[in-house]
Amino acid sequence: MLNLDLFAWWAISISGGIAFLVLVSVYLYSNSKSKRKESIKTSVDRGRLGKDFVFVWVLVGLLVFYIVSVSIGSAIIFAAGNITVEAILIIYLVKNRREKPEQKQRPRSPVR
Amino acid sequence: MPRHAFSSFQVLIRQFKNPIFIILIASAVVAGFFAEPEQSIAILTMIGLSAILGFYNEYKAEKIVQDLRQGVSFKAIATRDGKPSEVDSRLLVPGDLVSLYVGDIVPADIRIVESKDLQTDEATLTGESFPVEKTSDSLGLEHPTPQQLTNYLFMGTVVVNGSGKGVVVSTGKNTELGSISKSLTRPHPETEFQRGVKQYGTMLLTLTVALAVGIFALNAIIGRSLIDALLFSLAVAIGLVPELMPAIVTVSLSQGAGRMSKVRVIVKRLVSIEDFGNMDVLCTDKTGTLTAGKIVLNDYSSIDDEKDPGILSYSLLCNSAVVGDKVAGNPMDVAIWQYAIQKGLQGNVQPYKKVDEISFDYQRRMMSVVVAKDGEFTFITKGAPESVLSKCKYVEVARKEEPMDSSLNLSIHDKFFNLSHLGYRILAIAYKSVEKKNSYSREDESDLTLFGFLIFADPPKKDAHQAIDRLKEMGVDVKILTGDNELVARKICDDLGVPVKRIIAGSELTQLSSAEIKTAVEDATIFARVTPEQKLDLIKALKANGQVVGFMGDGVNDAPALYEADVGISVDTGVDVAKDAADIVLLEKDLLVLANGIGEGRKIFGNTMKYILMGTSSNFGNMFSAAVASVFLPFLPMLPMQILFMNLLYDVSNMTLPTDNVDEEYTKWPKRWDIGFVRKFTLFFGPFSSLYDFLTYGIMLFIFGAYIATPRAASLFQSGWFVESFWTEVLVIFVIRTRRIPFFSSHPGKWLTVLTLSCVAFGTIVPFTLLGDFLGFTALPVEYWVLLILMVATYLLLVDAGKVFFYKICKF
Repeated sequence: MLNLDLFAWWAISISGGIAFLVLVSVYLYSNSKSKRKESIKTSVDRGRLGKDFVFVWVLVGLLVFYIVSVSIGSAIIFAAGNITVEAILIIYLVKNRREKPEQKQRPRSPVR
Repeated sequence: MPRHAFSSFQVLIRQFKNPIFIILIASAVVAGFFAEPEQSIAILTMIGLSAILGFYNEYKAEKIVQDLRQGVSFKAIATRDGKPSEVDSRLLVPGDLVSLYVGDIVPADIRIVESKDLQTDEATLTGESFPVEKTSDSLGLEHPTPQQLTNYLFMGTVVVNGSGKGVVVSTGKNTELGSISKSLTRPHPETEFQRGVKQYGTMLLTLTVALAVGIFALNAIIGRSLIDALLFSLAVAIGLVPELMPAIVTVSLSQGAGRMSKVRVIVKRLVSIEDFGNMDVLCTDKTGTLTAGKIVLNDYSSIDDEKDPGILSYSLLCNSAVVGDKVAGNPMDVAIWQYAIQKGLQGNVQPYKKVDEISFDYQRRMMSVVVAKDGEFTFITKGAPESVLSKCKYVEVARKEEPMDSSLNLSIHDKFFNLSHLGYRILAIAYKSVEKKNSYSREDESDLTLFGFLIFADPPKKDAHQAIDRLKEMGVDVKILTGDNELVARKICDDLGVPVKRIIAGSELTQLSSAEIKTAVEDATIFARVTPEQKLDLIKALKANGQVVGFMGDGVNDAPALYEADVGISVDTGVDVAKDAADIVLLEKDLLVLANGIGEGRKIFGNTMKYILMGTSSNFGNMFSAAVASVFLPFLPMLPMQILFMNLLYDVSNMTLPTDNVDEEYTKWPKRWDIGFVRKFTLFFGPFSSLYDFLTYGIMLFIFGAYIATPRAASLFQSGWFVESFWTEVLVIFVIRTRRIPFFSSHPGKWLTVLTLSCVAFGTIVPFTLLGDFLGFTALPVEYWVLLILMVATYLLLVDAGKVFFYKICKF
C-alpha cells in the first residue's frame, strides 16, 4: 500500500535527478561539439548522436523500470530488472573497451 | 646585502590562508559546540598536523635562504689615503680603489682602471663557460649587458688569471649580485598546484555554504525544530568538507619525496612535486646543467684534418698548467693535460727539455716555449688563431711545409671561422726550428710554421641527450636560457637533438614589449646572452601564457628564475644560492632522474585528483540527496551523528589513496589543474550517486515499509541508506580511479583495495553491533542485502558507462 504523497515526492526526486543528469549530458555534449566545430566543421550525425547517448537511454529506461518496480513493491521484479540492466551495461562496456586509452594530443593549457 | 627578514609567526599564519583550512576550522568549531566533540578533535588534529608539516618545510627553506644570503662575505685589499690595507668587503664603499689577484673573489662591482692579463670566471653570474678577458678600455656602449662590460668586474665572480685594479662603483644590494639576491626576498610565488587547490577550496566553500544554508532554511520552513535543522545542515556541511585533503596531499607529497630521494632527487619544497609532474616547459641554463660546465679538449688536427700526435705533444710543451697530483692553471691548458692523461699520451713529452718560455699576454694573445731534444731546438707558439696565423710564414700540409699563400691563408681563416660558429673555442699551434741561444724574445715569434689547431668545448653531459629525448616523449618542451652566446647554445641544441625554432639574443629582448615577449617566448628555443632579469621575465611570460614552467640552473644568475618558476631545479654542483632558490636539487649528475621525478610528480597528482573527484562526486551526491530527502521525509534521512560517522569511515578508507597505482597512460602527458573539469565532473557524476540514494529511499519506503513515521521505521530507513550510501561512496573509487573501460582492467594498489574493502566490511556489520545501537541503527533484512548488492553493482557499471560518454567529450 503506497503512501501517495510520499511516493509522488519520491518519484519527482528520482525523475528530477535523471532529468538533471540528461540535461548535464546534453549541455556537456553540445559544449564539446561547439568547441570542436571551432576547428573542424562537422555535421551532426543523428546515428552517432544516438550512439553517444546510449547511456542516457539506459538511464531513462532505468527510471521507468525503477518507478514501476518500486510502485509495485516487488523485490523480485526489482532484482530481476537490475540483473537485466547489468547485463546490458556489461555488453556496452565490453563494446567500448578501452584498456589503455591513448591521449593523442597534448592537453591545452588553461590561461592563468 | 639585505638581510632576508621573515618572521616565524608570518610563516605559521600563511599555513592557514587557505579556504579548505578555513572551512575545516569552522566545521571543527561548530562540530565541537553542537555535534560530536570527537569529530571536532579529529578535524583539529588533522589541521594541526598539516599546518605543522607545512610550517616546518617553509620555515626551514626561509632559514636556509637567510643564511645563504649572507654567504658572500670576504676580505678585499683596498687603497685608502694612498695606503693599501685589508678590509672586510662589506665595509667597501663606492670610490675605494681595490686590487685583485688570481683566486680573489671580486668584492663589489668595480670599474677596472688597470689590468694585466686579467681574466675572470663569470659562469655563475652570466653563464659564460669560458674565462672572460677584462681590460680597462672604455667601451662606448649605450645599454650594455653585464656580458658586454669587459671593463667591469662583478661581485661574486672569480679572478682566474692576471691581476687588476679598479674603483668600486657599487656595493651590496646595488651590485648585479645584490639585485639578484633582492629578488629572492619576496615571498615564494604560488605553484600552479597551490592555486588549483585554492580554487577548489573556494568552489567547495561556495557549495557547502549554499547547501548548508539551503537545508537549514528548508527544514526550518517545513516546521522541523531549529536545533535539529541546524545540526543536520552542519552535519551535511561537514560531510562535504574534504577534511582529509591536506593530509592526503601532504602524505602523497612526502611519500613521493621519499621515493625521489632514493633516486637522489631532493625535494626542498613539497608542493613543487605536483608541478614537477605537470611541467610542460622546461627552461634550462646551459653551463653546468646540460653541460658539465668544464672546458675539455674535444679534438686536435692539422690543417688537412690529420690527427697528428705531434700537435698534442707541442701543446703539452707550450703549456702554463702546473702539473702535480692535480693539474691546475689556465682552464684550456688544464684541459690539454687532462686529455693527454686520459689517453695516456703525457709520456710523449718526456724526451723534451724546456729551455725558455715567453709567457702569455693579452697584447700578443699567445705564449711560446723553446724545447730541446737530441740537441735540436724547437720554438713552439700556442694562442688565439688570428694572432698565431699572423706570425706564420709556412703551413704544414700532409707533413710537408708549404708556403702560406693567400688562398691557403683564406681557407685556414674559413676553417677557424666555421669551427667558432659551431660553438667551439680554438687555439692554433705553430713551430719553427731555432738555433741555441741564451735567451729568446717576442721577436722570435715570426716565420713560424702553422702545425694545427686544438678544439675546445664545454660538452653536454653524457646522458643529456637521452634525458632531453625522454622529456620530449613526456610532452615537456625544452628551452635554453643562457648567458653564453648563441653559437655555443645552438651547438648544444644540435648535440642534444633539440630542434631550434628561433634564437633570441638578450639585446633583442630589451627592444621587445611585454606582449611581444609573451609571443617570442613561445616561438623561440634559445635565449642567448640573457641577464638574470631577462631569465626572470621569460619565466614570468611563460607562466602568464598558462604554462607550468620548470627552470633548471646552477649559477647565481639563475637564482631569480629558479625562485620564480613553478618548479626550480638545481644540480649538486650548483652554487649555494642557486640550490637555495631551487625547489628540487638533483644530487646525481645523471639527468635521467629528471624524467623519473616527473613521472613521480604525475603519479602524485593523479592520486590527489582521485581524492578530489571522489569528494566532489559521490560524496557531494550523497549530501545533496540527504538535503532533498530531509524536505519530504517525516524524519531525518540520517541523523547528524550517523553522517559524521560515515564521513569518518569514508576518510579512513581514503587514507591509502596516496599509495594507489596510477595507469601508465595517465602519466604520459603533463596534466593541468583545471577547475572547469572538476566542476563538470561534479555536475555529471554527482547525480549518479544521488540517483541511487533516491532509489534506496524508494526501496526502504515502499518495499520495506519504512514510510510510517515511527522511530523503528526511521531507524530502518537510516540504516538502509547508511549502508547503501557508504558502499557507493567508497566503492566508486575503483571506477573513478581509472579511465580504462571496464574499470577492472586497471589494477588498484594493494593497500587501497585492502583498506577500502575492510571499511566496507566494517560499515556493513555496524548496524548489527552495539556501536550500531549507539548510533541509532537497526539490523537490516536479508532481502535488502540482496537488493543492495544488485543495486550497487548496477551503480558501478552505470558510472563506468558514464565514463565512456564523459571522457569522450571532456578532455583532461
